[in-house]
Amino acid sequence: MISVSNLSYAFKIGKKDKENVVPVLHDVHLHVAKGEIVAIVGRSGSGKSTLLNLISGFIRPEIGEITIGGTKVSGLTESKWAEFRLNHLGFIFQSFQLIPSMTAYENVEFPLVLKGVNEKDRKEKTLEMLKRVGLEPYQNHYPGELSGGQQQRVSIARALVLNPPLILADEPTGSLDSENERELLNFIKELNEDYGITFLMITHDHEVASIAHRKVEIVDGYLKEGRMLHEVQR
Amino acid sequence: MKFKDKHRFVRSNMKKNRTRVWMTILASTIGCAFLIMLASVGFAIHKTAIDDVMSYRMMNEIQIQKENSMLEENDVKKLEQIKGVKAVTRKKYTPANQLSIDEYNTYADVKSAHMPSEEKAGFELEKGRLPQSKNEIVIGYHFAENLRKDAPKNFLEGLSEEEAQKKMKELSYKGDLLNKTITYHMKTDNQNVKVDEQAKTLEVKIVGIGKKPTKEWAMDNYVFITEDLYKEVFSILGEQDPELEAAENNYSEVNVYTASADEVKAVSEKIEKLDYLTYSVVSELKELNIYFTLFKAGLIFIGAIAVLIASIGIFNTMTMAVTERSQDIGIMKAIGATPKTIKRIFLLESGYIGLWGVGLGTILAYVISYGVNFALPIIIEQFINEKPPEDFILSYIPWSLTVISVTICMGVTLLSGWRPAAKATTVDVLKALRRDV
Ligand SMILES: Nc1ncnc2c1ncn2[C@@H]1O[C@H](COP(=O)(O)OP(=O)(O)OP(=O)(O)O)[C@@H](O)[C@H]1O
Ligand SMILES: [Mg+2]
Repeated sequence: MISVSNLSYAFKIGKKDKENVVPVLHDVHLHVAKGEIVAIVGRSGSGKSTLLNLISGFIRPEIGEITIGGTKVSGLTESKWAEFRLNHLGFIFQSFQLIPSMTAYENVEFPLVLKGVNEKDRKEKTLEMLKRVGLEPYQNHYPGELSGGQQQRVSIARALVLNPPLILADEPTGSLDSENERELLNFIKELNEDYGITFLMITHDHEVASIAHRKVEIVDGYLKEGRMLHEVQR
Repeated sequence: MKFKDKHRFVRSNMKKNRTRVWMTILASTIGCAFLIMLASVGFAIHKTAIDDVMSYRMMNEIQIQKENSMLEENDVKKLEQIKGVKAVTRKKYTPANQLSIDEYNTYADVKSAHMPSEEKAGFELEKGRLPQSKNEIVIGYHFAENLRKDAPKNFLEGLSEEEAQKKMKELSYKGDLLNKTITYHMKTDNQNVKVDEQAKTLEVKIVGIGKKPTKEWAMDNYVFITEDLYKEVFSILGEQDPELEAAENNYSEVNVYTASADEVKAVSEKIEKLDYLTYSVVSELKELNIYFTLFKAGLIFIGAIAVLIASIGIFNTMTMAVTERSQDIGIMKAIGATPKTIKRIFLLESGYIGLWGVGLGTILAYVISYGVNFALPIIIEQFINEKPPEDFILSYIPWSLTVISVTICMGVTLLSGWRPAAKATTVDVLKALRRDV
């Protein structure tokens, strides 16, 4: 599903003449198979988000190659990337990232609107997704009128509405209490088992045990793979 | 994203900042209305000038003159040879102008006219026929009105100008003049010549009356006499005024007519090659048009500055909208909105502001224009106590002006919305997503 090879990344900070280069990722190789749930772990500042942002196309790699579902995405133009995200990727963010001026219904519907789906199908699909995350009664609420857990369910409904084969999540449970966290992880597991959706997510160790098939760790920008896998299987 | 969805999205965004959006629209409205109003004054003056020029002359008419001498018969012959000339009318001014019937008396504009040419040039009769023998004449439509009894003493005393005009009509000849014989007084209008009261008279018969002029204000008080009668008149007057002899063969007015206005230019050039001076409405209009086109362009330019100022408002509003919504933009981009979609959304928003501004501005301009044209004559009458000229307009908005203004306003609007829209596409997804963490 995902194939990352030779990926290195460095942030450039400061003005052009006094540019400072901050290397973050070094020669990363990562393969995620279809139907896998892979957790990325590591210390704060180790480069987890940077890796995920590269795979999401939010930042562009200068060295290395990223392929998703057979498409070499690392060379795509900005608008091709946007199209690719719309059609192939779902996102779950730690802070939900709902559009505050839109109701829960409109937020979930938005990817369908972007894609140009007709109104009838849009309504059907949106309501189906809201029902699936148990928020049908809250469809006309604005994000500010929903609890954290409810907001995250709206954002998951939005991520799923176009049936993406891959979902990328940066600390999806980071803003949730333990009950909501457990619920969300179960839901992810269910989606993975029932629909074969692949997950690549950044989490903390203790959550991962319950659902991830495999763990990769980033240590100071270097990727160390597979350590947890045996533990999980055991 | 379908256009319909973009439209809906933009509308809901605009509703969120209703006051700001409406103030921006208001600025555009004022800018656009100002542009149209200012230019409309130029268009009105131009129109008045053109109407003025065209009202008392015909489009296919070329007036002919010679630089240092008067035109004579051989000139007319030459002009008649030119290709494209439909008719050459020629008139000789007659120094005897007084005519009378019973106690009614008038001083008319008596001219000899070559009737066949007049007819070819488009002269038409209200009733009667053209002269066939020497002492037959054709009179203008208003001849009878000007044929008046002598006014009794103090007849007009204490009357305003308007009332006096009405009262004068009471003195006018009331009956039908067709086929009446009237008296033509052989008395020259040269004031240096003293003539005894018993000057000779001729009896002439009115056989035709000219058509009513198309212009409301025109007064046709001419008398066309035959060229034979003209000769007789001259021989009689010559006895009183020896100076006249030299003028007998001079045409006072020679006009060339073409089949249509389009040919005027070509025919004028040919005539000028023969060393005549020409003057036509077409040539005058050309000069007039050049002058007024520049004038109008200047006014449009000044008006466009107002639109430009209004567009700064649009620029600000859109820049603010982009800044305020940068988090939304980031989320939209993260989910999969292309830069093109983002740009279109913001261009659409500035476009709507512009459309509203232009629409309301145009309507406002029409309303003001109508109001000014309606109210100004009244105001002038009130304060200066003088009637403004008929058909007076201060503001005229032809379709072309509306089209030009709408184009300028929409163009400026789209230009001013362009940068903010472009800026929206450069919103950094990560920065935007991080904002509320
Ligand atoms: N926009 C940026 N400009 C410059 N440096 C950055 C930028 N974003 C991240 N970095 C740097 O890159 C390194 C990796 O950051 P990253 O966000 O990937 O860490 P992380 O593993 O996700 O940490 P955390 O668990 O705290 O979220 C950090 O040292 C950070 O200072
Ligand atoms: Mg992170």
